[in-house]
Amino acid sequence: MTEPIKYQNRIEILQGTLDLLILQTLAREAQHGHGISLAIRARSGDLLSVETGSLYPALHRLEKKGWLDSQWKISENNQRAKYYCLTKTGRKQLTAEQNRWRLLVRAVTGVLDPA
Amino acid sequence: MAMKALRFVLRLFFKRRQLDEDLNDELASHIAMETSLRLQEGESPEAARQAALRQFGNVGLVADVTRSTWGFTGFEQALQDVRYASRSFVRTPLFSAIVIVTLALGIGSSTTIFSLLDGILLRALPFPESNRLMMLWELPPQTQKPNVVNLSNFVAWRERNHSFESMAVFLGLPMNLLSDQESQQVPGLAVTADFFSTLGTAPLLGRTFRRGEYWTDVPREVVLSYSAWQHLFGGRPDIIGKKISVNVSHHEIIGVMPPGFGLPNNKAEIYVPQAIFMNEGRNYSVVARLRLGINPEAAKAEMATLAAQTALENVQMDSGWSATAVPLLDQAVGSVRPILLMIFASVGLVLLLACANVANLLMMRASGRAREICVRLALGAGRNRILRQLLIESLLLALLGGLSGVALSGVALRLLKGLLPESLQIPRLNEVTLNVTVLLYAAAVSILSAVIFGLAPALQSLRCNVSEDLHQSTRSVTSGRGARRALVVTEIALALVLVSAAGLMVRSFLRLTSVDPGFRAESVLTVRMMLLPAQKKEYRAEVVREMLDRIHSLPGVVADGSIGILPMEGTNSGTYYYRADRPEPAPNARPVGDVSIITPGYFDAMRIPMIRGRAFNTQDRTGSPLVAILNQSAARMLFPGEDAVGKRVKVEWTNNDVVEVIGVAADIRHSGVSTPPDPCLFMPNDQQPFPFTALVVRTVGEPAQLEKAIREQIRLVDADQGISKIEEMEQMVSDSIARPRLEAMVLTLFGVIALGLASIGLYGLIAFSVAQRAREIGIRVALGASRAGVFRMILGDGLRLTLVGGILGLAAIFGLTRFLRSLLFEIQPLDPLTLTSVICLLTFVSLFACYVPARRATKADPAAVLREE
Repeated sequence: MTEPIKYQNRIEILQGTLDLLILQTLAREAQHGHGISLAIRARSGDLLSVETGSLYPALHRLEKKGWLDSQWKISENNQRAKYYCLTKTGRKQLTAEQNRWRLLVRAVTGVLDPA
Repeated sequence: MAMKALRFVLRLFFKRRQLDEDLNDELASHIAMETSLRLQEGESPEAARQAALRQFGNVGLVADVTRSTWGFTGFEQALQDVRYASRSFVRTPLFSAIVIVTLALGIGSSTTIFSLLDGILLRALPFPESNRLMMLWELPPQTQKPNVVNLSNFVAWRERNHSFESMAVFLGLPMNLLSDQESQQVPGLAVTADFFSTLGTAPLLGRTFRRGEYWTDVPREVVLSYSAWQHLFGGRPDIIGKKISVNVSHHEIIGVMPPGFGLPNNKAEIYVPQAIFMNEGRNYSVVARLRLGINPEAAKAEMATLAAQTALENVQMDSGWSATAVPLLDQAVGSVRPILLMIFASVGLVLLLACANVANLLMMRASGRAREICVRLALGAGRNRILRQLLIESLLLALLGGLSGVALSGVALRLLKGLLPESLQIPRLNEVTLNVTVLLYAAAVSILSAVIFGLAPALQSLRCNVSEDLHQSTRSVTSGRGARRALVVTEIALALVLVSAAGLMVRSFLRLTSVDPGFRAESVLTVRMMLLPAQKKEYRAEVVREMLDRIHSLPGVVADGSIGILPMEGTNSGTYYYRADRPEPAPNARPVGDVSIITPGYFDAMRIPMIRGRAFNTQDRTGSPLVAILNQSAARMLFPGEDAVGKRVKVEWTNNDVVEVIGVAADIRHSGVSTPPDPCLFMPNDQQPFPFTALVVRTVGEPAQLEKAIREQIRLVDADQGISKIEEMEQMVSDSIARPRLEAMVLTLFGVIALGLASIGLYGLIAFSVAQRAREIGIRVALGASRAGVFRMILGDGLRLTLVGGILGLAAIFGLTRFLRSLLFEIQPLDPLTLTSVICLLTFVSLFACYVPARRATKADPAAVLREE
């Protein structure tokens, strides 16, 4: 009853990759939570969907780690929203996460298609 | 690092509200943006908002999970729970007050009794390694009751034993102190040199007696207690070396002991040296310190072995006698242990009752809150979180109750120490304080009671099926009914046990007060003193005679006499005596009995009737034939079926005289109201002068009025003669049953509290069930049930609970019979009168508790009740 309903026609976000997705999304421009979830969905061709129950805890966690900074601004639709942007350490972390991901992809691909 | 963490916590704490609002805004803005997105896509405003909400999911849960990333949440949630709980207490002040007061009473009384238990029974005595201290006693052939010690036996033990590193003799005596203004007698101890080193306490000032200095000849030195130094000598720092007059000879003050020093049951102001004489009868107490590594049982066994040797070596003195060793703490507190444990047990029951009532209250409130909790569960609150919050509420209540309880207990202890009469002779009462152990106990009890009364209601509220319960149209959710009924049944059972115990103690005490001690105590004043040492023993008898002559002529004095050791002092002197007209019995078959040394007026002053023969008169003096009077028991023991008057008896007293029996006096209860009379042989003070005397003065009117005049007459006989105690005989009789009186009072108090708590519990349960069943009752009445029928139904419900509780309680009393029997005087634990009255009382009280709600049920207007639903 208390469990949120799961979307069944979409791919579950891999454990640990949400941080990477958020950092990557914010690398271009500051964005609010709603915008981030839209961006991830759009750029993944509607395959990836971030649940709010994962997104907001992640945002707050990353902010606490000092990778993100936040600020209230007026959105393009003239609505108040809280915008997140990368900090310096956040940028470094993004590079590290990207490398880690590429390594992982290479490794998994290696396992799937033995050369 | 720590500072950073602290700053973070502080920031969290103060920015809490802001952060919360921020988060709520953030989530709201998410939903708003999603809604406007959908509006742009052409959905209707209502549909767009619904869809946005659905897509977002559970807002409360998302917020909660997000908050959990902020860190320190366990601590924070606890704070939040505390805040929430305090708010809910403030919202329901009456409920909170009732709960806290109930708990404060329960925890407070339990803490008070525990502090007594801790200070008296549990804490080590104030001597270094006090667990190695033991008292040594001789054991007489027949009774095996620990008996004071003969000095030559002491010397034998001291020289031969391997269990003890040191041993010392002491003897409690009034000490005659002479100062410029007046003489007085204060409690003192005559001790051998090893006394202080055996106990292991160093003096505060000066020194104590030198080791092994005097076995036959004692130096004229005294050691003062701290309180004697403070109160008798003004705490002067230059007190060491001063000379004072003790027992009309000059003694030098050589030392002052630290505050609190003293044997638990032998408090003394002044310590004087004790010489060792051989073969002087049995008069002395012995304290000894075990060698390291020797256990008390081994020492006890060695004492028996040593006594077996002396019994062979000194047949006349020791045949049939054994010896034993008792740990000093057991010796000091053994007599109060059963009563303290019983009071502790009953106060524990009261605490359980208080907890049961609070649990009941919480459960009732929980049923009222069941819907609230269901709603919170539906909104995504975790079950653990809710359980924790409920437990924190209970804990907070318990801690508030505990704090008030400790405060209460502090007041109670101060009152107790002031109010408990000296006559109770409760050892170590001055050592009782609210120390760390006691406070830890109070904290533990509070937490434990929180668990006891909080867990059941908390679990009950979580037993909620969200979808079903929320669908119910009725406002109430009746869960936990069985548990509440079980609690009330338990309360009734516990109350029955306590009230019965109280009833039995009261009956037993009433029996004690109605016992005829054999003498008339009213209007009798007693004056106790140690007689000053005199060149000739006869002089002591002369002094007593002169005092009595003078007092006799005072106006208001009806009769007067004296006795060596008064009735109701709890002790007496005694020896062997047997018929002189038959061969002397074997040493271990000699009959034993009390000996009292009296003056001619004693029987008349105490109104003790002579059964046969005559009382003593002034002709029975030095030089005239030696005479004695027997009491009925002694006459029966020595001369069964014969007339004792005119017979001759050999008494192993100072001179082992043969005396002629000139009369038989009625039995009295000398050692105490509850003790049947022992055989006793009386001899005249003029023929057998005794070192102590207690004047017994029968007066018209208030005896205390004569006190001043009597003091004056004694001063006129000998200005140096101090008095150790002036007391009314009636007071002494009443003091002798002070403990059973206290037991009866305390148990009655707890019994009344228990009965009150149980009836409140029963009342609450029935009242609540009437309120809950209003609809059912309304329907019953609407369908034609008579009001009398409804009344009977409700009353019957309550009485059924009482019946079950009563049966359980009776079963518990059956289980406790043996323990109860040991505390009762001439009353059986299953005393039918007591039990019947207690059951009647319980029935009456529970009828009363059910009457009010039952009336209310019948008054209900069915139409109104049904419309309300």
